[in-house]
Amino acid sequence: MQKNSEAEPVNQSGVKFSRRDFVKGAAAFTASTLARVTEETMKGKSQAPGSAAKVPMRPLGNTGAQVSALGVGGFHLGSTKDQPEANEIVARALDAGINFFDNAWDYHDGLSEGRLGDALQGKRDRAFVMTKVCTHGRSKDVAMQMLEQSLRRLQTDHLDLWQIHEVIYYNDPDLIFAPNGAAEALALAKQQGKVRFVGFTGHKDPAIHLRMLKHGFPFDTVQMPLNACDASFRSFETQVLPEATKQGIAVLGMKSLGGSGELVRGGALTAHEGLRYAMSLPVATTISGMDSIAVLEQNLEVARGFQPLSTADMQSLRDRVKQYAADGRFELFKTTKMYDGGVGREQHHFPTPDKLPA
Amino acid sequence: MTTNPTRSRQTPSATAIPLRPFGSHQDIRVSALGMGGHHLGDAADDETAVRIVQEGFDGGITFFDNCWEYHRGKSEILLGTGLKGHRDKVFLMTKVCTHGRDAALATEMLEQSLNRLQTDHLDLWQLHGVSFENDPDLFMRPGGAAEAMLKAKQQGKVRFLGFTGHKDPAIHLKMLATGFPFDAVQMPLNAFDATFRSFQTEVLPELNRRGIAALGMKPFSGHGEPIQNGAITAKEALRYAMSLPITVTITGMDKLDVLRQNLKVAQNFTPMPREEMRALENRVKLVAADGHFELYKTSIKFDNPEARLAHGFPLDMKSAEVEEIVMATQNTGKPFPQIPK
Repeated sequence: MQKNSEAEPVNQSGVKFSRRDFVKGAAAFTASTLARVTEETMKGKSQAPGSAAKVPMRPLGNTGAQVSALGVGGFHLGSTKDQPEANEIVARALDAGINFFDNAWDYHDGLSEGRLGDALQGKRDRAFVMTKVCTHGRSKDVAMQMLEQSLRRLQTDHLDLWQIHEVIYYNDPDLIFAPNGAAEALALAKQQGKVRFVGFTGHKDPAIHLRMLKHGFPFDTVQMPLNACDASFRSFETQVLPEATKQGIAVLGMKSLGGSGELVRGGALTAHEGLRYAMSLPVATTISGMDSIAVLEQNLEVARGFQPLSTADMQSLRDRVKQYAADGRFELFKTTKMYDGGVGREQHHFPTPDKLPA
Repeated sequence: MTTNPTRSRQTPSATAIPLRPFGSHQDIRVSALGMGGHHLGDAADDETAVRIVQEGFDGGITFFDNCWEYHRGKSEILLGTGLKGHRDKVFLMTKVCTHGRDAALATEMLEQSLNRLQTDHLDLWQLHGVSFENDPDLFMRPGGAAEAMLKAKQQGKVRFLGFTGHKDPAIHLKMLATGFPFDAVQMPLNAFDATFRSFQTEVLPELNRRGIAALGMKPFSGHGEPIQNGAITAKEALRYAMSLPITVTITGMDKLDVLRQNLKVAQNFTPMPREEMRALENRVKLVAADGHFELYKTSIKFDNPEARLAHGFPLDMKSAEVEEIVMATQNTGKPFPQIPK
């Protein structure tokens, strides 16, 4: 840690992370409301026929690797009440056939990576571990330092997937592909065998994703919000998913319920419908945050032995939520700063959210 | 009805504002600087607002913008008063505010606008506030505002039709894809827009290809935020916007000082060389990238609460931003704007 504590850019102490505060409140909803929904559903069919079935595996683009169709989101692992709860979520997920675990260098200031690292002790080889690098426009060296830190916290000598986090600003592609930028770090880490595959992620605007893809960089994966509302509002599904697929890049879906359950809370659809829609898209996996066993079990009800929705059912879901989609109110990650990290804004020299309109 | 608004003007002096063709209509020329209607309602008093209109006209402005819902009709009334005796020498535009509602409401609004503006016809009538992803569908639906617009043109009450919006180039492109015969399209055009969710790169070329008049607005990014911040000067900003391949740049002026400052740039206008425009775009690119200088695209700060209500979208009164827009528009809180008789 000596090296890192000297490196100013990686020093994260005292940084306000606006998203965390927001998500903390929203997660309370997810945990309580969804748990109740689960309980009710379970009562209805305690002998669910698919309860022993595993979560299906899917190919990760052209990489040759296989990943589970449902992935465990890393941010919410840091929202669990303690390490034993995180351990149990991870163990139960593995037993149900989930191998995909998401994370990021800056989630809960490193706590999320720590929780996953501990939970995977002795089980590392059963998991496909992803984490993200948070340079936010800074250089390759910063990225490489973050990688070392992530590997230590995750207690592993390599990542299965390393992605550039929060590509959400219009100048991010320029910064990432600038000489000595983060793209060079991805290539270097892969060459060194520290990461098997590389990608990027962002929740803001399909146009920014498309700009990233124009660079012709050999990304193995690209992560994006995919849900029933996205289909008719500033849509990743219609603009980015086909392009990534065409380029042979694996697509990782996220925010199936709007980021913090906004779609469910707002009455657009049920949690089951939301997840089923997202998982029925041509994606490698759908990453979902689960901060309690109840939420994991709720997701597993959909994911075990998963059968995709028919084209007609997909369309009727899109049509049903279209009225809520048109102003982006349930996709706040696209329309507000609520899901944007404070560190990223700071690094881009943008004013902090409290200096901007609500 | 086919009067060329500029032909009857005095011989242009050395300091006249340049005139430009209205899209593919080479015979119709309007001033490259247009006066925005909303700010007339923000003037210190009615007298000042009327003087702004008159002095603007005397300074060479022939393009006048307005909208049915600006200050609940006050802006149209002030413009009507200010243009008395000059109606046939100007190009008069106002906008209709159905926000997804039906043709009958649009027609009712048109009659009211004509009354307030003291005229029997508009040169341009535009659909206001095309900001939501479902607006193109609502506009084109059977019984929607599109029908009222075509009828008004047929009846000679309006010469040309258009639409306006400040939210997302994708929505503008959807409107253009409907095939409706638009003569004009209005959109935010400034140096920040060039690299962020850009109307300039996504919509403007399509308009020029089709010969549709491109009307620029928000040359100062709405309320001049980047000028106060020091990211760009007012002169640079206006000169940049006016140098784009468009018919007119519309900007609001609530004070005579502001009008005079804009007139100075417009009367001595020389287009910014291409390299200088690129350099300016590059200079502001860093701060443009999250849209905090284009809040009309990234927040609801510039949206109308009544438009949200007409769409059936919620107004979260706990949000400071919502409170602000409700106060700014003196919103009644009723789902449909009343049409005062």
